[in-house]
This record gives sequence, C-alpha cells and structure tokens, in this order.
Amino acid sequence: MKAPFAKFSPFHVDPEKIMDTFGITDGDFSKASDNEKEAMVETHKSISFWRDALRRFRSNTVSMVALFVFIGCLFFAFIGPYLIPYNYSDQYRTAQKLGPFEYSAGEETARSIQKEADGFYATAMRPGSITALEAGDYCFTFRRNTYAFTLDSETDNSIIILDLDEQEPLRVVRESDIRDGKYTNYTPLAYTSTSADGATELKLSRRVFPHVFGTDSSGRDIMARTMYGARVSIIIGVVAALIVLIIGSLYGAISGLCGGAVDFIMMRIVELIYSIPEVLIVLLLQVVLKDPLQAWFQAHSQTSAFVRAMSDLGAGIVSIFITFAVLYWVTMARIIRGQVLQLKKQEYVTAATALGASNARIIRKHLLPNCIGPLVITTCLQIPSAIFLESFLSFLGLGVSAPMASLGSLCSDALQTIQLYPYRLVFPAIVLTVIVLTLNLVGDGLRDALDPRLKK
Amino acid sequence: MVSYILKRIVGSVLILLLIMVVTFVLMNAIPGSPFLTEKSTPEQIALAEAKYGLDKPAHVQLWNYIKSYLKGDLGTSLKMQEGTPVKDIIFRQGKFELSIKLGVYSLLLAILVGIPLGCLAAYFRGSWLDGLLRVVTTIGVAIPTFVLAALLLIAFSVKIDIFPTKSGNLPNFKSYVLPVISLSSYYTCYIAKLMRTSMLDAINQDYIRTARAKGVKTGAIILKHALRNSLIPVITYLGPVTAGIITGSFVVESTFSVPGLGKYFVQCVMSRDYPIIMATTVVLSALVIIMMLVVDIVYKIVDPRITLTSKED
Repeated sequence: MKAPFAKFSPFHVDPEKIMDTFGITDGDFSKASDNEKEAMVETHKSISFWRDALRRFRSNTVSMVALFVFIGCLFFAFIGPYLIPYNYSDQYRTAQKLGPFEYSAGEETARSIQKEADGFYATAMRPGSITALEAGDYCFTFRRNTYAFTLDSETDNSIIILDLDEQEPLRVVRESDIRDGKYTNYTPLAYTSTSADGATELKLSRRVFPHVFGTDSSGRDIMARTMYGARVSIIIGVVAALIVLIIGSLYGAISGLCGGAVDFIMMRIVELIYSIPEVLIVLLLQVVLKDPLQAWFQAHSQTSAFVRAMSDLGAGIVSIFITFAVLYWVTMARIIRGQVLQLKKQEYVTAATALGASNARIIRKHLLPNCIGPLVITTCLQIPSAIFLESFLSFLGLGVSAPMASLGSLCSDALQTIQLYPYRLVFPAIVLTVIVLTLNLVGDGLRDALDPRLKK
Repeated sequence: MVSYILKRIVGSVLILLLIMVVTFVLMNAIPGSPFLTEKSTPEQIALAEAKYGLDKPAHVQLWNYIKSYLKGDLGTSLKMQEGTPVKDIIFRQGKFELSIKLGVYSLLLAILVGIPLGCLAAYFRGSWLDGLLRVVTTIGVAIPTFVLAALLLIAFSVKIDIFPTKSGNLPNFKSYVLPVISLSSYYTCYIAKLMRTSMLDAINQDYIRTARAKGVKTGAIILKHALRNSLIPVITYLGPVTAGIITGSFVVESTFSVPGLGKYFVQCVMSRDYPIIMATTVVLSALVIIMMLVVDIVYKIVDPRITLTSKED
C-alpha cells in the first residue's frame, strides 16, 4: 500500500527518473556472479565493544600482570584455607609465638618420625588441647580402611603412629621415648575396622605442615589467619563496592535524567554528604550500630536465612556495609550523573521518550548500559577503598572482632608486639598492600580499556 | 566574589549545624548510658544524668548544645576528665596543637615534595626517572597509612635505632620524622601522580610552544607558564587531603603514641563522653570545611577563567 502522503514527501524519489538522469538502461543490470557475491562477504567480523576493550586490556602488560597477581591473591584467600591443615581460629597450645617455619617441640618430634611412619597423630598438635587425648573411642580412615580403637586412659604427650610395615601397625609412643625418629618403647593398640557409635574421628597427618608465617601468642597459625583475613577483606570490598554501585548509579541516573528541581535538591544532598568528614561519622556509626545489630541478629536469625548470613559476618562488618550505603555512594552518583547529562541529549533517548518509554525503562535500558565503562571502573576502584576503610576501622579496634580476622585487625594485633615479632605485621601488611595495589592497577587498566578517551 | 564567599560561609555554617544534629542523633543512638558501669545503681545513673542535663528531652539537649556553641562554650567533660571544660581539654592540653602540627607539616611535605616530583616526572617523561617515580607513587598510594607507619617503625626504630619508637609530645625534630612521613606519603604520591598528568597536559598546549618559539628558557616555561596552569587539579584535591590527613592522624597518633586529638577522639567515642565527641567532631569538621572554602577561593585566584557563581560539575 502506498502511503497517502508519499508524493509530497521531500524524500520521495522516482527510480525511473534517476535511471533517465544517469543514462542507465535495464540491460545494465545483471545477476551477481558467485565471485562477486563472495567479494561482498565481510572479510572482518565486526568487533564488539567488549572484544575491543579486552584487546586493549590484554595489550596493557602492567594491568595483565596485576590481574594475574590478584587472581593469585584470590586463590590464596579462597582456595588456600583448604590446602593447609590449620584453621584461623584453632589455638595450638604448644605452638605459641613461633617464627616463620619454626616448629614446636612436639612438632619437631612428629617430624622426626614422619619418614618411617605411614601416618601419625600427635596429641601435642591437637588444637586447643594441652597435649592430652582423653580416654574414649576413636577412629580414623587411612587408605579407605577404617581403624577404630579405644584408649583406656588419658594419653599424655604422645603420638599415635600408624606404620603398616610393622607387626603391630598401630601404636602409642610417648614423645619422650622418641630420639631422632627412633623409639623402642611403645604400647601396641588393638583396633577393629568398624567404629563404635560416638567415636571421635581423628585426622591422621602424613607430615607436619610448617607454620609458614609463624604463629601468634595464642598459638594460631598466622598464615591461616592471613588467608582468612584476606578473604574477609576481599568480600567486604566487593560487597561494599556493589552497594555503592547500586545506590550511586541509581541516584546519579535519576538526578541526571529528571533534571530541574529534583536534580538541584538531589545534588545539594550529595554536596552535603561530600563535605561531611566521613571518618568521624563512620567511627560513631560503628559504635552506634554494633549493639542494635547484634540484638537484631539474635531476634531474627532463626527465621530468616538472610539475617543468619549477616550474623555470620558479624555486626562489625555489616555496619561497614551500612556505612558505605549511607556515605560512600556520592562519588559514584556524581560520575553517573555527569554521564547521564551527556547521554540524555542523544537521539535514542529522545526516540525512547517519544515512543512512550517510562523514565525507569530509559534508565534501565538506555542510560545505565551506556554508562557501563564508568560503572565498571568506579566499582573496581571502590573495592580497594572499601578494603582501606575496613582495615582502618579494624586497626582502631572497631571492625571485625576476634577470633574473626581481617587484614586490618591482623596488622593491628601485630602492632602490640611489634618489638619482638615484627614478621607478624609484615605478612598481612604485604598481602593487604598487594591486593590494593593490584586492584588499583587493574582499575587503571580497565579505565584505559573501556574509556580510551580518558587515557592521557 | 564577596557575595560568593558570604554565601559559602552561610552554607558552611548550615553544614556544621547539620553535622551537629547528625552527631547528636548518633551519640544518643548508642544504647545504654555513659554512666553505666558494673557497680552503678539506676539511682546513681539517674543522678549523674540529671547533673549533666541528659535527662531532658532530646530536642532540648540539642538546643542547649547549639546555644552554648554559639556562645563559644563547648561544655564540660562527663567521664574522661570529669568536670574539665572541653575547650581546655582540646585546646589547652596540647592535643589540638599536636594534631595540627602533625597535619600541617604533613600537608606541607606532601605539597612541597609531591609537586616537584610530578613536574620532574612530566618533564623527563619516558625516562628511567619517570618510570621509577611511577613505580614509587603507584606503590605509595596502595600502602595503607597504618601499614607504612608500622613498617617504618620496625625499620627505623626497632631494627636500626635512629628514631624514637614513641614520639610522645613531639619534643624534637627526630620525633616528627616518622609520623610526618607516614601521614604524608599517600598524599605526596597522589599529588605527584596528579601533577604529572596535568603538567603533561599543560606542556602540550599551544602557548607553551609559542613561549618556546619565542626563546623563553625551559626553566622559565615550566615555572611561569606550565606550573600555574597545571596546579588547578592539585588545588582541588587539597580539600579531600585535609579530611584525609585528619583521618590518617588517628592511626599515626596511635602507632607512634602521640597523645593527639585523633587518638583521644576514638577513646571518647568508646567511653561515650558526649560533649567531647560533639566538640571534636565540630572542630575537626570546621577545619575541613574551612579548608574546602579556602581551596575554592584559591582556585579562583589561580585560574580567573573559573566563575564561582555558576558552579557546574
């Protein structure tokens, strides 16, 4: 059907007329040959935004190295705890105040027999115990066989040794009887392959794992605590950055798109928060929120899984999140507002408005996706700043509380004994610095990759 | 200009008032009473609260704060040094002085070292010096203040005994060195980075080429033409620096055992000495806000192109 106003349209062209003008006849047209068709096929695939950004990011050596180091830190924090036999909260009573790669006396003895034995269990290395294993039923699994045995009396300063080459493979040896990995005096243990009900499960060691970073004054392994602390710090950083991302981007987009009085009021609020010296308020908030949060956790942790997850994190961390939600989104909001002010003049926004799209849809479908560069960059750079703030608060004794650890609280604990044990500070400090440094470099790389205009 | 400054002063006072309200609300949201100890009976608590007017309704208490602040009276301490006027605690006992000294010296160091370093890096861009400075500044902005402070403490007080481990009341030059370096290093590095970028920007401008073509000496080009124009981002950054240095001083003071305001503030928050919390927040906030105001005015002097009346982001 021909549009009724077609002949009035200034764009209407008559093909016949054009052919006349250029002197083209119908005979000049012919079907394209296969060769000609092939020539029309695209020789290059069109490069998408992300592919282009990825290419630019890859060619940035510093950022790539930083990214790999950061992934290494992620492994250290999230996989590491499963690879070492120590736990962040277990206190090994005889292994206090060890330096890096030092062993307690019991661990030294256990080390001396580790070549001969197939597996051993040293009571001195049992977390929390003072070298004794009470009388009772025990069992353990070794090469898919279950060994169950009963101790008739408390076993003091002893090692249970499994040596399958011997006549009596399972035996209890007093530590004092072991000299240079040799012992003659031992008590054989009778065992069965079915464990009794309520038997305590033991975990046999094959070799003594070194305390790579040493232990603290309560006998906790510092490497395990550093891994755990790094995990806590990274989680705090990521969650806080996401909170900032959501609040800041929505606030900025609404303010920028609406303009006028709404924008004016919203931006005055931003300026106000901007000029508050936030640390003073953050310190107050931390103290204020601690008790009410704890009470809230206790009241609701039975009913809601969300609250339970929050209470696992602890009041200190949750109040850091709240602090970020209240005070730290302003930078993000400003950046996004600036972007939106530019973007909303684009034709596609006008078109969307003309087609009757709501403001919410325009923000969701048009504005925020086009701000993706600044969003990613600002979020990435927000993570180290959140880690900074958390470690600062923990350092002042306000963030996470023991036995939980974050990199900041580890540094703060280490500072008490800095004269005697400087290495306790050095390791968490290095991990903290490396995480912040690599995230900064990755963020810089992302900025260059996603927004090449900003590159200087 | 004058009307702008007046407007900003009024705005600053309003922000200070708002900070007072927020602080007051937060202080009162801390559950329990400041006088709550294991031994105290409810009657004793009530008596103590009545003595300091804490039994009055919240809005009356807030109004009392504002009234007395307008008169320049900061109230008296409840717990930390019971009965002592807060003004004496903050200003007479040297706490404020110590923190300000640390802060001012750090700020000066950050500016006096950061700007030349940035200029050097920009001037010798691409050389080994630029590379070295880039590595140093990148690491410098990634080390938290307290980590650097502690590492310096290990290196130069514990291992090599050059500087004292406890700076105390900052009696001599030696006691200043470590706290000031740790407090200023982040900002030195950040300013150097900022300065390098904006200096590079300025060097590539046409007027620099013109000056060079006219035969102006390199030193004069950098100092007279490029520096002035590239200082603007650095000046903008000085507002946040002031706030940051106050924050940093909390950590540095506790690391080097300096009995300054920052360390005291944390103790007061813990023990809920309301008048001191309020006074410290207001004094430190005022400092930051005044600094931001000064920055905006200096901004105008350095770059006359900036119109203060219609400020757009």
